[in-house]
Amino acid sequence: MKTFVCIKYVPDTSEAEVKVNPDGVTVDSSRFSFDINDADNYAVEESVLIKEDKGGEVTVVSIGPKQSDVMIRMAMAKGCDKALRVEDERIADHDPLMVARVLAGAIKGQEFDLVFTGCWADDDGHMSTGVALAEYLGVNHASMVKKVEILDGKVKAHRELEGGLMEVVELELPAVLTIQTGINEPRYAPIRGIRQAQKKELNVAGLDDLGIDPAEVGSDASQVIVENLYIPEVESTAEFIEGEPEEKAEKLASILVKGGLV
Amino acid sequence: MSTESQTFTEKYDLLGCIQCGRCTGGCPVTVRADLNVRQFVNDAYDEEKLDELARLAEIWDCTACHTCAVRCPKGLKPLEVLIGLRSMIVESGKVEPTVRDALQSVLLEGNPWEKARATRSDWMEGLDVKIAEPGVAVENLFFVCCTNAYDPRVQTTVKNLVKLLNKTGIDYAFFPDDESCCGSEVFTLGEEGLFEMLVEDNTEYLNEFTAERMVTISPHCFTTYRTHYPDLKNPVIHYTQLIDELIAEGKLAWKGELSKKIVYHDPCYLGKQGGIFDEPRRILKSIPGVELVEFERRRERSLCCEGGGGKMWVESESKKERLADTRIKDAKALGAEIVAVACPFCVLTLEDAMKNLGYEEEMRVAEIMELLGEIVDL
Ligand code: SF4
Ligand code: SF4
Repeated sequence: MKTFVCIKYVPDTSEAEVKVNPDGVTVDSSRFSFDINDADNYAVEESVLIKEDKGGEVTVVSIGPKQSDVMIRMAMAKGCDKALRVEDERIADHDPLMVARVLAGAIKGQEFDLVFTGCWADDDGHMSTGVALAEYLGVNHASMVKKVEILDGKVKAHRELEGGLMEVVELELPAVLTIQTGINEPRYAPIRGIRQAQKKELNVAGLDDLGIDPAEVGSDASQVIVENLYIPEVESTAEFIEGEPEEKAEKLASILVKGGLV
Repeated sequence: MSTESQTFTEKYDLLGCIQCGRCTGGCPVTVRADLNVRQFVNDAYDEEKLDELARLAEIWDCTACHTCAVRCPKGLKPLEVLIGLRSMIVESGKVEPTVRDALQSVLLEGNPWEKARATRSDWMEGLDVKIAEPGVAVENLFFVCCTNAYDPRVQTTVKNLVKLLNKTGIDYAFFPDDESCCGSEVFTLGEEGLFEMLVEDNTEYLNEFTAERMVTISPHCFTTYRTHYPDLKNPVIHYTQLIDELIAEGKLAWKGELSKKIVYHDPCYLGKQGGIFDEPRRILKSIPGVELVEFERRRERSLCCEGGGGKMWVESESKKERLADTRIKDAKALGAEIVAVACPFCVLTLEDAMKNLGYEEEMRVAEIMELLGEIVDL
């Protein structure tokens, strides 16, 4: 099995307050901690589990800054074999389609059986990169995958659907799978492993090195324009309806009618 | 494999063990878990068995209270055998997700609580805190500790301490927010590589500052710096030692009385491991109105609250009564209205037990600094 796993370095916005920069279109990330995107961490684990079971090679691909090297080294400490980090200011990285094009450009031309991505990114939450990547690579895909079984020349993917349904699909390889969290239990990357992973190959490349035309992945090519970011107003009008069930129902109905909601 | 296990036997001096049983006889968790530390000291000698031993769930029940080490007549540290076995699991990466996240957070953010490094000094907001600068000598240099810095429940300890220091006018400063975890729990969780890295990096960082003494607030930092950091240039003390001095010098003015029955719980890392038993008691006794009572199990024999040994991140499988519950029941039997402690982990575990038992109305768990904040004129 030759696998690529695409991972993203994202801020943890759950602890520090989210503040929009004065430009109105970016977020002040100076007080956030950064780490591998949660779903991508499961994708790394799945790729390593498959390698441990079937043999082969896993390559990490990531678009991100130098600081994200620690995340890549951790993935290599867990068992990934080599890595490519793409860094280029010209990439319109707020647009999942442009991101997918860059990832496709980095993978294309190389032999592969599987490409894993997380099913969504914790920062922008588009859930589109993996699927678009399959399109650009011209291969099959399955999204929200909760279980993977490798068959002869095929992969059986269990997809988590709305309402808790599971759909089982068989795909011809090569294929892209977007991995849902909970598929496995990501392991810890011990520091000694991270140190040893320093010896593994981590290449850094720009668009020119990869032969990707900047005009095709930059803001001019993107159809997504961020016009304005704002923190939603917290509305604090909550009304507790008191009384017997019948009274409550009547009061509620009249509120809904008055508010034009029914 | 054989060279590795040779190291194991040598590293923990397993041949020195005479199987006297003093360790197991004092181990507090034996009442609620299957842990038999003497058996581990015995069995770990067999190199073939190491992998099997490392897979036993009970190696994670040890709270690193150090009772076994204190009692061992041969000067062994039986608990470190368990830590060595934990290391084998850590190196394989197959640890509990909570342990994984705590360790990774120490590496990436310098604290085990998965908080951003950039927010480490947020607790200082609204306070006039003096910040240390490398090379500028200060008398008392404070190391805040990750738990005191980030956990809102125990931040009162450090906030009150700052107010008290400002009031007394003594020369002090806190480390800036690039201070990192001391690694106490990294060590006991068995992440040897990360702990070695912390010792190296922290020694270099802490030695950039010049002080008559470095004052720790958590007993875990206190003991870890004193035991595992041989090259620190500034002597390390615990804050209760400083407060005890200030009281003796008459530097604190009381603003009233605290007419309460208080029992003091010796934290394992301050008492058994740090040898600090009297200072906290003297502080409490000096508070006007306080009646200090004592647990039957006190000082070196103090019952562990199960907050150490990485247990903040490892859930015990045992459904038997937690030691913290036992401790709180003992306090209740003594008629204590306040259980006073001097450790952030003890505050969290004992308070949790007190709430679980439904004693909130009649009892409280408080850090000594919390009480001083209420009774000293600040
Ligand atoms: S107390 Fe020390 S010598 Fe005695 S059994 Fe335990 S480890 Fe061995
Ligand atoms: S450190 Fe405490 S809990 Fe751990 S084995 Fe020793 S006595 Fe038991």
